[in-house]
Parts: sequence; C-alpha cells; structure tokens
Amino acid sequence: MNTNEPAQSVDATAAVALPRRKPSVRLYLTRETVLIGLTLVAIVGASLAFPTSFPTFRNFSALLRNMAMDGVMACGMVILLVSGMFDLSVGSMFSMAGVLTGWLLTQGHLPAPLAILAGLCLAAAGGALNGWIVARVRVNALITTLGTMQIFRGIAVLVGGPGIANLPPAFARWGQAQWLGLQAPIWLMLAVAIVGQFLMARSRFFRRYYYIGANAKAATLSGIPVERMLILAFTLMGLLAGLAGIAFASRMATANSTAGDGAELRIITAVILGGASLQGGRGTVWGTLVGVFFISLINNVMIFARLKPEWQSIVIGMVLVLAVAMDRFLSRRV
Amino acid sequence: MAQDPGLLLEARGISKSFPGVRALHRVDCDVRRGEVHALLGENGAGKSTLVHILAGVFEPDEGVLRMGGREMRFRDARAAQEAGIAMVFQERSLAGPLSVAENVFFGRQPVRRWSLIDKARLYRQTRVLLDDLGIGLDPATPLESLSPAQQQMVEIAKALSLNACLLVLDEPTSTLTEPETAVLFGIIERLKQRGVGIVYISHRMAEVFRICDRMTVLRDGEHQGTFARQEITEDELISRMVGRRSGFEALARARPVPAGSPALEVRRLRDAESLRDISFVARAGEITAFAGLAGSGRTELAMCVFGARPMTAGEVRIHGQPVKIRSPGDAIAAGVGYLPEDRKEAGLFLEMSVAANVCSVPIRDEHGHSSEDVVRGRTTYEEVVNASRWWVNDRVMERQAATVTARMRLTGDIGGRRVQELSGGNQQKVILARWLLVHPPILIVDEPTRGVDVGAKREVHQLLGELADAGTAVVLISSELPEILAVADRILVMREGRLVGEVPRAAATEESIMRLAAIRKSR
Repeated sequence: MNTNEPAQSVDATAAVALPRRKPSVRLYLTRETVLIGLTLVAIVGASLAFPTSFPTFRNFSALLRNMAMDGVMACGMVILLVSGMFDLSVGSMFSMAGVLTGWLLTQGHLPAPLAILAGLCLAAAGGALNGWIVARVRVNALITTLGTMQIFRGIAVLVGGPGIANLPPAFARWGQAQWLGLQAPIWLMLAVAIVGQFLMARSRFFRRYYYIGANAKAATLSGIPVERMLILAFTLMGLLAGLAGIAFASRMATANSTAGDGAELRIITAVILGGASLQGGRGTVWGTLVGVFFISLINNVMIFARLKPEWQSIVIGMVLVLAVAMDRFLSRRV
Repeated sequence: MAQDPGLLLEARGISKSFPGVRALHRVDCDVRRGEVHALLGENGAGKSTLVHILAGVFEPDEGVLRMGGREMRFRDARAAQEAGIAMVFQERSLAGPLSVAENVFFGRQPVRRWSLIDKARLYRQTRVLLDDLGIGLDPATPLESLSPAQQQMVEIAKALSLNACLLVLDEPTSTLTEPETAVLFGIIERLKQRGVGIVYISHRMAEVFRICDRMTVLRDGEHQGTFARQEITEDELISRMVGRRSGFEALARARPVPAGSPALEVRRLRDAESLRDISFVARAGEITAFAGLAGSGRTELAMCVFGARPMTAGEVRIHGQPVKIRSPGDAIAAGVGYLPEDRKEAGLFLEMSVAANVCSVPIRDEHGHSSEDVVRGRTTYEEVVNASRWWVNDRVMERQAATVTARMRLTGDIGGRRVQELSGGNQQKVILARWLLVHPPILIVDEPTRGVDVGAKREVHQLLGELADAGTAVVLISSELPEILAVADRILVMREGRLVGEVPRAAATEESIMRLAAIRKSR
C-alpha cells in the first residue's frame, strides 16, 4: 500500500489542476444566438423602413399564421436531427394526411372528430413505417424517406386528384377558430412547441435522443433501446406532419394534394439554422422555432420590400451556409 | 562495414514516441532478399509501429532506414511504395464494388487515347500477375464477392504490381482457414524464389517456425534479439517475448476468504462466428481475468453476455437464476455493466458534458438511493433500476456525477466540461464513473487501462480492487499480462474462441499464461 502513495499524490494534483474554461466571446457565438441577433436586426430594420405597416399586430399575426404549419412539423424534425436522422417525406405526409381526412369527410361521410383521428392514425403509421425501415431494416434515412416521400405524394394525388374542396364547416371551424385575436394554427404551434421544448430539455426519456445522436453505439451499450427510440421519433414526426396537414386543410376548408410540396427542405433548413446539426447530438426546440420564425420573417420583409419571391430563397440559402460555415470555423479554433 | 549484397532493407536505431508512450526504442531490423522475417512480440510491443515506419506511414524520431546502402526518408506511404515497400494491411484497403483488376491497378489502370481505360489490357495484365502467383481468379469478378482469403491475395497482387521488393504481411492468416493458409504459404514460397523479402507478423508459433527464416523479437518497444530459425526453440522465443518487467505492483487488497457466491455463470456459450462452448463462473468479491491474444474472442464473449451480440447457444445465470439477455438494456436490468474496449467509439459521448456522460445509463433516482446504499444492502439493485424518474435536472445530474467523479479523483470544476477536452486517463475514469453510479453487481471491464498513463492505470486498478472488496464480481479483460498478474484473483485464458484453461494464481507468470494463449498448431 505504501508504495502507492507517491504516485497517487502526484496524480491527484494533476487531476485537481484541471483549468477552468475561460469564458470567451466565442462561447456566446452559437448558432442560436447569431440567429436571434439576425432576427432582431431584421425586425428593427423592417420596422424602420416600413413603420406603418410592418410592426403591427395584424402583420405579426399573419406572419405567425404563415409559419404555424412549418413550426409544428419542425418540432418533430428537430427530434430526428438530434438523433442523427431526418425525414424528407414530411411535405408529402402533410398533403396526404389532409387529403385522406378530406376524403373520409366527403366520401366516407365520417363525423369530423373521427375523420381527424383516422387521418392522424394514418400519418403516424406512415411515420412508423419510415422508422421501421430506417432502424430495423437499416436502410439509410435519405433513401427511405426519399422513397416514401414519392409514395405518399402519389397516394395523395390518387385519392384526392388536385385536391378536395368544400370541406364541411364542422371540420373547417376547427382551423378557422380564433382566440385572443390569433388563429387556431398559431395556438396549435405554440402548444406543440412548448410541450416539445419541455420534453426535449427536461424529460429523461427524450433526452435519450441526444445520446443516440452523439454516439449511437455508446448509447446502445448504455442500455438505451436505440432502434425503438428511432422508430418512435419517426412515428412522432409522421403524427406531427399529419396534424399540421389536417389543420391546414381545416383552415383552408380545402385539402390540396400538393400543399406540402417543398416543406421538407424548408423545415430542415429551419432546424439547422436553429442550432441542430446533421451529425446529430445537437439542437433545441426553441432554437428550431426561431429558425422557422426567421424564414417566415424574411419572406414577410421581402413582400414589404416588393422584391421578387426568388430573393427569399437566395437570402435563406446564404444565411444557412454562412451560419453553418461560421460554426465550423469557430469550433475548429476552440 | 561491407555492404551485404543480399540486404534489402536495413533499419538501425529506430525510436518512436507518441504522446505518453515510448513505442520503439533503438530498434534494429534488417530484411534480406528472398527471406521471410518474422516480427514477434506481445500486443503493444511495437511491431505495428515498426512496420508502419518501414511502410512510410510514420516517420521515426531517431534512426535510419537504408535500402541498397542508401539512406531513405519516406515522407509518406506513397514514397515507401515507390521505393518498393508495400504493406498488406489487416484492415483491407480495397474497394468492394470494383473488379479484381480495377483493385490491383487502383488508379493506375492502363489507358488508351484520351485517358480512357483500356479494359482488355487491364484484364490481361492482371491475369499475368495472378497467374504468376498461382491464383486462379477472374480479373472481372467484383471484389466484394470474394472470400477474405482471396481478397488478401488480390492485395498481394496489388503490392506486386507496384514492383514491391519488400512486402509486409500483418497477421495474414488470422482470418484464413487451413487450406487457404496453405495456398498463402505457396504464394509466399514463390515470392521468396523471386527474391522478394517479407516481413511477417504473426502470433502463431507453428506458422512462424514453418515459413520464417529469421525472427526479431520486440518487447515494450525494445529489440530483444534476432534469431535464425535453427538457433532458437519455441519456448525460448516466448520467454524473450514476455521477459521480466516491473512497474505493476500487485494490488495489496484484503481478499475475501473464500470467494463469494457465483454472481455470473456462463454455460456452453456459443456465437455464430468464433465462440465455442465457453463455460465459466465469476464470483462476487473476485476479479476474474480473461487473458488472451487480440482476436481470441474475449471481447466477443463480453458482448454476448452483455446482450450486444447474439449468442446461438448456451445459458447465462445471474445469482443462480437463468436470465434471457437480448439487449444491453436487459443486461443492465439484470445487473451487468460493461466498459467497452474502445472508449471513443463505443463508450463516450465526446461532445457532451462529463455529467451527461456519467449519467448516460438511464436508471437512477435522485432521492434516497445512492450507489453505496446498494452495496450496503439498504436497497436492492432492482429498486434503483426501476425507480427511474421522469424528469432530469441538470443541477441534480451534475451533483450526482460529482459524487462519483470525486471518488475517481476527477475533481475541480469538471461536471460541465466536454469529455473530448479530457486526457485519455480521465476519459476512462468518466466511463468507470458511469458504472460506479449504477453500481451493477457484475461489472465487465474490457481493456480498462488501454492508452492511459501510469498514474491513472494504478488508480483504475485500485478502484477495481475496491469494487471487488465491496462485493462486485469484476470481470477483467486485458491484453497486458502484468496488469492481469497485478490485479486478478483468477486467470482464465482464451485462444481462438475457446476457453483453454485456468492458470492458478499462485503459479501464474507471464510465461505460463503466454504458453496457453499462443497459438501453437496451425488449425
């Protein structure tokens, strides 16, 4: 025992001497904070440029309403990105869920609550299918969801043609309701986001997704059932895409078969702007929501500035690449 | 010194250090034309570092390489290749979906006008090379459809197409069957006749004595001598490989007398690949060690018991009860913990905080039970496992992590730091702390001190001793014999997927273990 003493004390000092990490400017320059900064700059700039029309309740309410559907779906997508996955089929799922619900209402003559429930179940089943193929069969998420994206899109058009209009008022009133001056989709988004933020940040169960994304092998060896967790994440994604699609159909009283086309890349962009990475292990729900808000804001400002809508995609694309590149640059030097 | 015309390559006084490790110290080695020169030593003796230096992958800190009397400096592997040294890696460096011919002439395919690949000539040239080696493969076959042995031959053909005069074969027979080995030896014989020199790394003594002309022994990065085959016996060679070393004092801990009840019993366990009818018992309060060479199946065995690898037959009993373990989650719930061999790949969440890493096993409650409570019998392990709460609180998590990290002498403001900022030894302590927090009655540790400094090694050993004293059944897998001798209460030896024996602790020496572990007969 005595022989052990010297070596121990030497190492003990070495262990204690771990230096405290110096706080530096870089620590505060995360993607989330940069995004918030850009958002504030855009808001202030637009308010100065269009003082009468931009900073109004009406405009912001419209802005929030426009982002609501993407916001709901992005809450599911951030879980997938945190676990190192993603889903390209959400846009088609959005359309398909709306069309299937619309079909059940008009052709199946189901009462609205039942039709909504059935639509949600089908969407969750579609998501579970994605998850099963990715986690169990182990087909790469890109290929799986690229495939199901086209399958869902095909089903939507087969069932609904270009779309199903004149949905019954019993269904449409859900999406057109207002409370405190804000429309139902906004409240839906806020509810999903608050629950999502709380679960991802605080619940032991959802925290597992960060471990899975950081190192799936180590997560398995820590006893986390990785496959089951991934299937669940895809199922939730399907459910949320379905929820958004049905809510959108309800608001418009029309289920458009191509309503969700292109949503998938817009949503993944928002999630990454909000701090997530394709490698997994990073991302928050609130950051994601800021990302969705930012995209919606840029769109809004472009309209005020009377720029062609193409400018929106140019600006968003540049911000995305610059934000991630800056991240790389900073992490290399820390 | 007169220049020996038969000398192909000469390495003199080669030294190489990596941060914290002296891998080679003034090692000499030479290879003659038409000679098979074996490089022998235990895991970590420096064989691999030496051949990587020969092949230009590493640059030596000291020493010279000479070829044909000229001093050589290889800037990278390509430079060594141009000088005629080719390495056949253990991990094959071939492109699966491409054809045999495309692989042999990787990036050097014969071309016609406008740089278009001349397929006919490519296949013809490959045919000639393969025929030369006596390999009857169609050059157009996709590589991935070949057996490991055939792929290895393609790799050798590739090396020869680069006009290699010196070939490094690193454990070439480890994945081959007996007839395949015979074919490989036939090829080696042909190469010898063509004057190619071969550096041959193997743990299989019979093989070495069958085909090698000379043998160089390394131990802890030092040259232990070079011998002609006729000069030395197998036993002498083994004792040169293990030698005598200091630096590991036996753990002076109060050993439980006699050992406790069987905590883990494994009966006739098999898996689909390598493990064959393994039965053993690990008792509470003991450190049961598994010795063996790399690839002897120890890690696979641990993974089977831990549910991370399917077993095809056999039974696992924990505290006398048969249990069905299908996943690591099942194993943890049954009371087994596993510290993986490769901490970066399979153990750590590098980008996450120390606290998050320590608390990654999702089974703890914050009130009431601590790991010490489990040991003292105030609560059962099952209770702790099942008492998982729904919510996490970062502060509680950090506090919880701090209680165990402090025990590991990981003190200071550490809970919030990212694991990737820590040294290897401290990273290893973080994983150990994870299991300390859960405190399973059975803990399997796989190479717990690989790549950590001496001080941390000693602390890890001490901790394993403390765990055993507190009633844990510790199963230690280690390739470092001194470590096993210092720490283990019982020593089991594995070889080629079988348990080949137990060495009584009193009689255990590095030599007696190596005799069991070394592969004597070709299969």
